[in-house]
Amino acid sequence: MEHYLVKDLMVPISEYAVVGVGTPLIEAIRVLEKAQEIYTVSKYQHRAILVLDENGHIVGKISQLRALKALEPEFDFNDTIAELQKFKFSEAYIAQLQNESRSQRKIITERALREAANKKVEEFMQAPSPGEYVSDDCSLDTAILQLTAGPHLSLLVTRNRQIVGILRIADVFAAVFHEMMTLKP
Amino acid sequence: MNELEKLFHRIVQRVNINLRELNFDVSPFAIELIPPDQMSKFYAFYGITPDHPPDLHFEHSAIAGSYFLGKSRVRNSLLYKSDIRGDELKHKDQTISFKNLTLTLTKDEIIDIEDSALIKTLVHNYSHDPETPEKFFIKDTLAMDYSNIHGSPSDGCFLAPYATVDLTTMRDCVIGAYSYIQAVEISHLNVDPGTIWVNSPGKFNFFYKYPLNLLDRYVSLSPDKVPWGILIDFIEERKIEFQRVFDFVNLEAIESIPKTASLDRYAVVLPNIKIADNVLVSQRAYIENSTLGRGANAQENCFIINSLLEEYNITAHGAKIIETELGSGGFVGFNSFLCGKKGSRLKIGAGCVIMPHTIIDIEQALEIPANQLVWGLVRNKDELAKNSIALEKMSNIEPSFSQGEMHFEGNGALFVKAFKERIHHILEVNGAFFADGKNTGHAQKNQKLSLNTIQPFQFGPMEGMYPNIRILP
Repeated sequence: MEHYLVKDLMVPISEYAVVGVGTPLIEAIRVLEKAQEIYTVSKYQHRAILVLDENGHIVGKISQLRALKALEPEFDFNDTIAELQKFKFSEAYIAQLQNESRSQRKIITERALREAANKKVEEFMQAPSPGEYVSDDCSLDTAILQLTAGPHLSLLVTRNRQIVGILRIADVFAAVFHEMMTLKP
Repeated sequence: MNELEKLFHRIVQRVNINLRELNFDVSPFAIELIPPDQMSKFYAFYGITPDHPPDLHFEHSAIAGSYFLGKSRVRNSLLYKSDIRGDELKHKDQTISFKNLTLTLTKDEIIDIEDSALIKTLVHNYSHDPETPEKFFIKDTLAMDYSNIHGSPSDGCFLAPYATVDLTTMRDCVIGAYSYIQAVEISHLNVDPGTIWVNSPGKFNFFYKYPLNLLDRYVSLSPDKVPWGILIDFIEERKIEFQRVFDFVNLEAIESIPKTASLDRYAVVLPNIKIADNVLVSQRAYIENSTLGRGANAQENCFIINSLLEEYNITAHGAKIIETELGSGGFVGFNSFLCGKKGSRLKIGAGCVIMPHTIIDIEQALEIPANQLVWGLVRNKDELAKNSIALEKMSNIEPSFSQGEMHFEGNGALFVKAFKERIHHILEVNGAFFADGKNTGHAQKNQKLSLNTIQPFQFGPMEGMYPNIRILP
């Protein structure tokens, strides 16, 4: 186990569901569904979609959480909330404003679903952040520390500055705890 | 490059260094801010009174058209038509309190301006910073037209036109045009234009922001233009009247002024005016065809035109009141613009608090009931309903409230009390309650004010600069 490297556990990019910048959410979900359908012949279960730019570089990721966020109505006062934080209003006051706004808007309506379906992926994708990259020849120890220290549920695996795969927390979890179970008492 | 240009260039660089973290460059705004030929055109002047003996120190500075009263020092700075009023500075042996700490001052407080450029700026009140009780510092700061630095020490800041910082120590901040900030202490803050923020930590927090597309009409600033808008034009149109009072050494006194009232020699007064007892009209105030009731108070840079102001009301620094009737005890805050029209007048009931930087600009007559708090932009009845609240209702607010673009959190009663106490204090120090030789204030004391003028170099590489001067009693 201690000799495991990131590349031993990562999902290769070629196995992943990908869409281009400019794709509507509904198309992205269809791509994901197709990928799920071939789950039976592939060993990887797909829960996220990668977004590529025109040069084929990964510029973002859409998880289930991000897709649901696309359904949330856009609050008119997002800028106001940022201002209220800047001008020392309490989190309780800001949360109260957000709740009041949410209570006035329903998420599951035909109109809201139609609007969300047409949103472009770049509007709600998660762009890669500096702490999200890990080299494919790193030890699993390093990757575990990176996952536990940060907010990410997966890491982008690089080789020679190119993204070559995704290291998912579920695969790391399975590998580590499988090893634990095999320990002799 | 002559000495004046070198000085200005150096000030701009110093301000930029302080604002580098905000990534804010004042250079585009500074271009053409000061026409060099104007700096040798106007004299500077200072007041002498028994209460405020002169203690002035000018060093390597240009101070055209600027006025000084009280203890001030100006070094490596450029002041243009600015008022440095040190008549409310703290005194030696005065005890100040901050929470449970008290401190006795070992010397008189000084307004200390260094490496700064102040354009048509008012500096007044005393420093409320307990860390530097004897020094009201303004350094590495650029303040543009009609800004107010009121009891607010400043280090490395930019104030856009019509910005006011009140009772707040500021460091490395950008204050946008027509913003009013009263927040005790701020640092590294970039405040958008039209932001009204009154924050007393632990007590209350008031916030309103003008819609920018609507504010632009009144005051606007961009890097490639000089400031423009209705508020700028309004003053430009009346500039000629000020030239008259500044051009003459001796003006004829207006005999109808009561002995208990004070009309500053550098105020513009046009027919027909009525001024009652205990009225204070400060310098650079402009009064035309108006009545000021007992104890009314018209502060620096204010304009009162075709209006009736009843007793004990306050027109704060830079406020403008046109075609308006203001009931007794009314307060019109800094830089507010109350613009009724002939035949469509604005009536404001007694005891109203018009918050600093409020714009009431109406086409149809509008009446504001007594004892209301008003803020923001009001152009009709609907906007009045959105941007006002009865002071009594405000007093019952806790813990929070929002209405339109206004947000409030904290104790409403403390907020109202703070305003009311401040209004009373302003009337008191300005002598509104003077009677039987007691309760004297600025209205009475200013009658014992005389003025001296000082001149800049007129020729050569130092043209526009002033000689180093030390003035003592």
